[in-house]
Amino acid sequence: MRYLTKKHLSRRTMLRGAGVAIGLPLLESMIPAGMRRASAAGVPPVRLGFVYIPHGAVMSRFTPGEEGREFTLGPILEPLEPHRERFNIVSGLKLAAAYVGDSSAAENHSRSSKCWLTCMPDGTGPSPASADQIAARHIGQETPLPSLELALEPGSSIAYATPTTPLPMEVNPRVVFERLFGDGSTPEERAARQRQLSSLLDAVTGEVASLQRNLPAADRERMDRYLTDIRELERRLALAADSPLAELEVPDKPAGVPSDFEQHAALMFDLLAIAWAADLTRISTFLVARELSNRVYSRSGVTEGFHNCSHHSEVPANIDRLAQLNVYHTRTTIAYLLEKLATTPDGDGTLLDHSLLLYGSGMSNPNQHDHDPLPMLVAGGASGRVQGGRHIRVPEGTPAANLLLTMLHKVDVPLESFADSTGLVEI
Amino acid sequence: MFSRPIVIAICAVGAAVGIAAVGVLTLGGGQSWPWQARADAEWQVLERYCITCHNDIDRSGDLSFERIDRADFSKHADIWETAVRKVRTGFMPPLDAPRPEPEVLDRMAAWLENELDRAWEASPNPGVKPLARLNRQEYANAIRDLLAFDASAIAAELPVDVAVDGFDNNARALTVSPTLLEAYATAAMQIGRRAVGDLTMGHGETRYTAAAGRAQRQHVDGLPLGTRGGLVVEHVFPLDAVYEFSVGASASRKGWDNPTGAMVWCDGPAVDVTFNGAPIDVRSPRRFRLRVPAGPQQIAVALVDDERCAGVNELYLGEIASPGAVQSLTITGPFDAEGAGDTPSRREIFVCHPDQGAEESACARQILSRLATRAYRHPATPDEVEELMAFYRLGRDEGGGFEVGVQYALSRMLTSPRFLYRFEHEPEDVAVGEVYRISDLELATRLSFFLWSSIPDDRLLALAADDRLGDPETLAAEVERMLADPRASALVENFASQWLLLRELDEAAPQDPGFDGGLRAAMRRETELLFADLLRERRSVLDLLDSDYTYLNERLAEHYGIDGVRGSHMRRVALPPDSPRRGILGHASLLTATSAPNRTSPVVRGQWIVKNLLGAPVPSPPPGAEADLSAEAAESENLRGNTVRERLEMHRASTACSGCHGMLDPLGLALENFDLIGRWREHEDGYPVDSRAEMVDGTRLEGPADLRRALLARSDAFVTAITERLMTYALGRELEHYDKPVVRSIVRTAAKDDFSLHALVHAIVASDTFQKRVKTGADPTFASAVE
Repeated sequence: MRYLTKKHLSRRTMLRGAGVAIGLPLLESMIPAGMRRASAAGVPPVRLGFVYIPHGAVMSRFTPGEEGREFTLGPILEPLEPHRERFNIVSGLKLAAAYVGDSSAAENHSRSSKCWLTCMPDGTGPSPASADQIAARHIGQETPLPSLELALEPGSSIAYATPTTPLPMEVNPRVVFERLFGDGSTPEERAARQRQLSSLLDAVTGEVASLQRNLPAADRERMDRYLTDIRELERRLALAADSPLAELEVPDKPAGVPSDFEQHAALMFDLLAIAWAADLTRISTFLVARELSNRVYSRSGVTEGFHNCSHHSEVPANIDRLAQLNVYHTRTTIAYLLEKLATTPDGDGTLLDHSLLLYGSGMSNPNQHDHDPLPMLVAGGASGRVQGGRHIRVPEGTPAANLLLTMLHKVDVPLESFADSTGLVEI
Repeated sequence: MFSRPIVIAICAVGAAVGIAAVGVLTLGGGQSWPWQARADAEWQVLERYCITCHNDIDRSGDLSFERIDRADFSKHADIWETAVRKVRTGFMPPLDAPRPEPEVLDRMAAWLENELDRAWEASPNPGVKPLARLNRQEYANAIRDLLAFDASAIAAELPVDVAVDGFDNNARALTVSPTLLEAYATAAMQIGRRAVGDLTMGHGETRYTAAAGRAQRQHVDGLPLGTRGGLVVEHVFPLDAVYEFSVGASASRKGWDNPTGAMVWCDGPAVDVTFNGAPIDVRSPRRFRLRVPAGPQQIAVALVDDERCAGVNELYLGEIASPGAVQSLTITGPFDAEGAGDTPSRREIFVCHPDQGAEESACARQILSRLATRAYRHPATPDEVEELMAFYRLGRDEGGGFEVGVQYALSRMLTSPRFLYRFEHEPEDVAVGEVYRISDLELATRLSFFLWSSIPDDRLLALAADDRLGDPETLAAEVERMLADPRASALVENFASQWLLLRELDEAAPQDPGFDGGLRAAMRRETELLFADLLRERRSVLDLLDSDYTYLNERLAEHYGIDGVRGSHMRRVALPPDSPRRGILGHASLLTATSAPNRTSPVVRGQWIVKNLLGAPVPSPPPGAEADLSAEAAESENLRGNTVRERLEMHRASTACSGCHGMLDPLGLALENFDLIGRWREHEDGYPVDSRAEMVDGTRLEGPADLRRALLARSDAFVTAITERLMTYALGRELEHYDKPVVRSIVRTAAKDDFSLHALVHAIVASDTFQKRVKTGADPTFASAVE
């Protein structure tokens, strides 16, 4: 029979005593959350976004033939032509983690999205969280919401707070609205609600301690995480109380989930743009559809389900059909978002100038279920740190983590490596 | 080929031999001669048909039986259990390998099962039920039973729970995050305000959408006769106040030869609005305000079923593009609140009130301690009540007085982990690794969440607090009471709807013009009602496979081609012996949920049957399987085949595929007469439907009736499968190898009551797995070894 070892105790002490709202292995290079990031006067903070589309793409029509600045956009990315100077296509990346594990189709698909931002096999380290959450711990601590997870379909997540804790991605625009602007009709009401919420959470923290006694070890660990989450929530509320929500021009609250895909997508992207413009959050992940989704996009002209389309079996008519769907998705998602960001003023420029977005998939050829070369593009100016307008071809087998690490560096997250990264990508 | 009586006889023979063998066992675990002779015979079977591939050299499937311990079955129980299951369901030996007569395999399987059961009994293992948070349904139900308040609209906005192993009450999947916590805390505050009736609550908006499509042209069940389409809802009005109603309805406004479109057809369609059955007079049904008393009201909005209107020339009617439909009802409010009114939740909460002379603080204490006992599922301790009273004082002092104080305390209660989590504490006087009984209060919670997906009621709590629940007779009586209670409908709403894919049906989008919301609703009701009858009428679960009746309304009957059913309400309709609609395999709900948007999918249907009706684990495709298929397809110019069936023939052609698809495809192919939304068809795209198939053991099938008979012949497999699903749901965890002996024991017990659902439930509740746990202690490494 083994008893509590000192090792176990000190991990818990570290959780409680550190005052840092993180219940995970600490990154050596972490900046304590309480410290405000020193920013040069007048330079707006960079917003980080990740937009995921499942089932890869028809790669021959996604990837341009030429490299460098002189390239022709393939049909799938053609809708992005007006913003050509604001994005780079990055070809040749590989998501090795998605190959690891049960070879069944279902597992292969679900790994594509689960590993996209963690670059590690499902549920393992060394990366303690997905790239967006790592960024959230650095640059997300200054905003009321460290990060915002949005989706157009429920039931899946690409954001991981720990290797085994996916964050829920919200599908309902009304719920997103309430999370951004609070529940209540007037600013006074909203403030009152926040105060009440704070006292509730404070009280619960004390309660959890007494509950830990006589719990089996595995359950105790869950309560530990619960406690951590409460503290994190309290911290966010304190930040929100400080921010000038009352001065925001709050739009009309959406009624619910629109039945039309394009309307739903537009509404969610609009909310994302508002959230960024108002500095309510600086990091967001967005799931256009989950892996294995068999949704029919009636306005795309394709009447077959998405997943079924992705298994084209090399039949030319089927490949055309999948490509048609790919173009539709580009138009209604990333093209819409880039246009929206490009026309939203932010400081001395636009939101697009001050953001860094990744659009892509964890799968390459969906018919083969392979995970390289991935369809990926990086958009936004990152406040002057990124120049667009190029097709960048990386050496075959370059880990996708290299691109994620590069993006993290662009937002001043000083990590030496991320997951299986071997270097950086010149974006 | 097989028929039921033969299988039972074989099992009886096997059991008889097993019992005889047990009878002469010595304490040492069976070295007596009759046991050894039997064992030797079975090992010979193993050597001849299994070890030919599963040996140290070939190691098929990375498994060898050559040096496995043949005396101590507890050593590799997990391997034996998987092996037995594969033999029982015909997966092993594989199709292309030599097989003995079915009786021989059955004997061996029965013997193995008996040995595994004995090994388990020598050292029972009930496993560990991981700490579970309430999921959304459980949360809403708990609030309903705690406060008599309908929180379903609020609960619907909580983050979606992920289903693991088919159910969304799997403890490990119910993770927590700051977002989720915030959502639950905000919900708690909203519920507090609405249940008590806070006059300062902001106005909210609730929107109800009507089922689209053909449903709008017919009478909808529950609406007044003489109307068509529309919707009927029960809406809870939180306060006596003014509410704004807005009806979304459409109609074509132009008529033929009417260039300006100025002609209006009845000022828009005539919309009828009733409150609790009584029509109300509104000037403009599209948007109106009304003062409504607090509490639940039933509101119906429908179109008057009258195609004639004053001032419209009948000639024009023919040109109207759409006859109009009600799309939605939106209720906004409250505005101008007058008072909190008299709602069911206020009556439930305020068992005393200062307005009626009670002393404020004592009354608050009484209210909170009563509710806390229910919410926390144990008699509220003085400390717990004190915690709540602190919040009561906070709310009262904020200026809101007594009621706001109670409201604050309620929010506190609903945010407590004691409410949101189902704790099971380990006693100190038990050693780590030992099996112990959970307390009666913990048992009460397990029981109520199993049968009602909700908190225990006062009676159950009282019995448990008195330590009387553990008595087998009392427990059985409570199970009977709970199954008869309306709250047992949770088994239909949560268990059946997940197991029988009704939630998938809700998401299905078939590309068929005949499919719409009204048909979907009828399909769902048919399956729900059949399952509900198992509870209400103590029926056998075998009725799910072959039932002599079903539930239909006019719409669904028309879909099935059954005459003589009129009207929109669902009613029982007898089915003749040759009807393809007997049992769930003839239900359009399941048939639609297992189809692709534009065609049937025999593989998906076969897979569902194998997993859910036969209890066999469905293997994953081997690596490279998909590459082969597309390569072959590329070579053959096109995916050859005029019908879905012909295209699936490729699975037979390749040996890499036929091993598993030989089991899956036939079961789905036998259902090919049902199209993608469950209509009966003799032709597919002009080609005659071929529903002939051959199962792994050679059983020939042609059509759904044969499939039904084949499944009934394997009723043991079916009952085992449903028991496992029910146990997974009851425990909130996936089943492990050490649960299988318990499953077998439950199936044997239920056989005595003709496999009624009641008997299964009773047997699950009476099992060690439901009533006990293994102590894992504070050491996390021990815990992970056990799990």
